[in-house]
Amino acid sequence: MPWESVIPSIFARDVHLDASRTASPPMDNEAFAEFYERSARPLWAYLARTSGDPALAEDLTQESYVRFLCATRREEGEVAARRYLFRIATNLLRDHWRHPRTASLEEMPENLFAHCGDAAQADSQMLLGPAMAQMRPRDRQLLWLAHAEGYTHREIAEVTGLGSASIRLLLFRARRKIARLLTDREPGREL
Amino acid sequence: MLRTCPREKEVMELVALGQWPVAEATAPELRAHVARCRSCSELVLVATAFQRERALAANAARLGSPGVLWWRAQLRQRNAAVERIGKPILGAHIFALAVNLLLAIGLAVWQARHGFAWLTRLEHLPRTATLYLSSQWLDSLRSSASFGSDWNWVVLIPAAATLLLLGGAVIYLVSEKQ
Repeated sequence: MPWESVIPSIFARDVHLDASRTASPPMDNEAFAEFYERSARPLWAYLARTSGDPALAEDLTQESYVRFLCATRREEGEVAARRYLFRIATNLLRDHWRHPRTASLEEMPENLFAHCGDAAQADSQMLLGPAMAQMRPRDRQLLWLAHAEGYTHREIAEVTGLGSASIRLLLFRARRKIARLLTDREPGREL
Repeated sequence: MLRTCPREKEVMELVALGQWPVAEATAPELRAHVARCRSCSELVLVATAFQRERALAANAARLGSPGVLWWRAQLRQRNAAVERIGKPILGAHIFALAVNLLLAIGLAVWQARHGFAWLTRLEHLPRTATLYLSSQWLDSLRSSASFGSDWNWVVLIPAAATLLLLGGAVIYLVSEKQ
């Protein structure tokens, strides 16, 4: 029996999937490359802006895709695949916040400090940066998913694992808070 | 208090499509509504800021090669497959070890009840010549032809254990080949 026919069913328990999902062949290399091309930038942006750490976002983006490829899932189209990818990334980010890993200087990539200037410049360009920094991590995720990715409450519930009913209230509060913070930064702006 | 406006969805769609702010002439009524509705104006403020931020961040993304990620996933899947296959084999090893231990303990208990009769025979070994030992050994085996003899069990149980181990090894090799 060839390895390729055994492998897809291996990781069925590794990811948090509904029991109703059934096994299916994974994406082939070319399909994945196309999917990656379309989805990697939004995913990186989500992780970078909700974590506030571009290097962490890079790591988590890669890990999200590896887990995505290892997962067995039902073919549901690109929209569902992208939502599933965001779900993996959200769980990884939550795990990171719960158990932050410290890296030694030896473990850091050589080009990390070379990018510091770029990162600082990018941060200074961030319009939301200071306001986002004052928000709770969960609120940052909810706001990004709702207003940057345009997900519905039901989709956000699926991605974050929160109850669909509570999303509405949490999002309403978070939006009100960040609107106030943005208005304070731009006093001339009227609501 | 949770107060949302029924027109939020309409406004959100326009922002998401990049069509906000709409021209005064196109939708004057909607613009006027957003100007006086707190909920909608908050939505416009936040959603436009996030959309802009998303575009900026996406351009700043530092991404790896999809080929490398593909290769990493393949490697991880193979490692998991190997680990998964190894689990039953480890279980079989533990089972075989447990069976052998039980047999050894059973044998020891059984021999203890019979006073380790075979040990008394070993005590005489140094005093006998090599040839005499061989003949004595064969004689004793011959004389203990009845199935209830101590010597039969002493030979039989290790032989059975060896056969079990060899059988396990053969099954493992066959399953690995498959």
